[in-house]
Amino acid sequence: MSRRSAGREERRFALALFLPAFLLLVATTTLPLLYLVWSSTQRLDLTMPWLGGFAGLENYAKLGADARFWQSLRLTFVYTAATVVLQVAIGLGLALLVMQVRAGQALLRIGAILPIVLAPVVAGLFWRSLVLAPDFGIVDFLTRALGLGSYNWLGDPQLALVSVIAIHTWQWTPFAFLVLLASLAALPPDLYEAARLDRAGPWQRFWHITLPMIRPAIVIVVILRMVTALSAFAAIFAATGGGPGSATEILNLYAYRLSFTELNIGYGSAVATVLLVITLSVAFLLFALRRSR
Amino acid sequence: MRRAVLLVVSVAMLVVWVFPVLWGLVTSVKTERDVLAYPPTIVFEPTAVNYHDVFFGGASIVPNLVSSLVVSGLTTALTMLFAIPAAYALARLDLPFRRATGFWVLATQMLPPVGLVIPYFLLLRRAGWTDTYQGLVLVYLTFALPFAIWLLVSYFEEIPREMEEAALLDRAGRLRALWYVILPQAKGGIAVTLIFVFLNSWNEFLFAVVLGGNTVRTVTVAMFNFISLEQTQWGRLAAAAMVGMAPVIVLGLIAQKHIVKGLTLGAVKGGGRR
Repeated sequence: MSRRSAGREERRFALALFLPAFLLLVATTTLPLLYLVWSSTQRLDLTMPWLGGFAGLENYAKLGADARFWQSLRLTFVYTAATVVLQVAIGLGLALLVMQVRAGQALLRIGAILPIVLAPVVAGLFWRSLVLAPDFGIVDFLTRALGLGSYNWLGDPQLALVSVIAIHTWQWTPFAFLVLLASLAALPPDLYEAARLDRAGPWQRFWHITLPMIRPAIVIVVILRMVTALSAFAAIFAATGGGPGSATEILNLYAYRLSFTELNIGYGSAVATVLLVITLSVAFLLFALRRSR
Repeated sequence: MRRAVLLVVSVAMLVVWVFPVLWGLVTSVKTERDVLAYPPTIVFEPTAVNYHDVFFGGASIVPNLVSSLVVSGLTTALTMLFAIPAAYALARLDLPFRRATGFWVLATQMLPPVGLVIPYFLLLRRAGWTDTYQGLVLVYLTFALPFAIWLLVSYFEEIPREMEEAALLDRAGRLRALWYVILPQAKGGIAVTLIFVFLNSWNEFLFAVVLGGNTVRTVTVAMFNFISLEQTQWGRLAAAAMVGMAPVIVLGLIAQKHIVKGLTLGAVKGGGRR
């Protein structure tokens, strides 16, 4: 068999294996997304069905003057930035500490898995009831016991944002911790020996050896955490439902409420499309980094 | 001194991570009176009444467990059926536009679910598929399939190339080589992928709450049965959460060593120091 026909045969085989999944993915994701973009150009309000019809960019023009949209965009930014920074900072700190623990490391790793495997909606419900509920939750009990008073963690607009950030951080910091712990454990120990002989202090060792070596892992954690934060929905829905008012209404919740509570699906589609563009930019960033690796 | 700091931080972190679940477990075996006691009681007489209600009471979650099992099971089976050959082609074969295709699969995996739930709401309603198993499984494929493909690619890439070259020289036929040589090599990776797909499907909420209904109501949606404007049935909610989350906690512990790889889609290897 000639080389060329072998290559062609391989290509045909590859296509035969890949095509079914490819077509299924196009049908289940790409086409619905195009439909989303289409519905974002429609006047599609289920409470006023007689007003339906093509609206062009009307929904997008409306976004500009919609204070709730801008607040939602700002909240998405704050929520994403805060949760990602907190997760990476706490996760890295803990991983560096735990690297020095010999006995019991396995126990910590198992404990870290618990929040990750929990359904976000259950995490939100647990926090809403057992942890943060006034007169009931453990945090309220602790703040009172410490003489700090009682707070309505999910009912006060300022505190509610802090609370949903805390819930997300609680659930996903173990992710950052486990990944960074794994990449720290994979570093060659003789590197540190050399540095110690050079009389490098712990800070210098961290800054000049550890950090550059685990940078790829940190970058991956940051991007994956960003994507999760950008699609966060269930935990906030369970804990605050986006409220009080619209205090914790990130774009996901705004698009959901517009489409399924207020039944203004055309406008909801426009908000979802904006979110889509943001998320795809992050995904593109991840791929560019993976390729350059 | 340093050992003491280490110990305190480690214990504190374990407590914070484990606490909500542990406290949920404690709450689930409390009577109504003990649940509402303030300050919270630690010493009390445990009761199984909440579990009894959750299984056999008026708001039994057994039908919801069945719904979750059917949706997650079907999603996992279909996903693996399509993902395994696709991932192999992407990892090992001369696929046209491999890079671009890889990016596209990855981007699909990251789509915000709220962007999909709106078109699916319109499309499934038109097809009469809201509140049906086939409708929900179709939607679940949108996150399960790209995730599985991407994770499996990283496992297929680990198989030594000599293995398949030997099989090919044998003129065994490519499909047979895939079946008899490659798949057994990737058994572990396939099992891990299967677990993660099932886990993600089980935990899904947004699609289930918008596109499900009275026939197909998964266990994550059913949690809200115990919450109403007037009052929350804390004990039953906790028991339902414990029962609903037991499968994923068990699966998570089984896949413990592979969780880092699973979570980073194969970009970071290893499970820490053993």
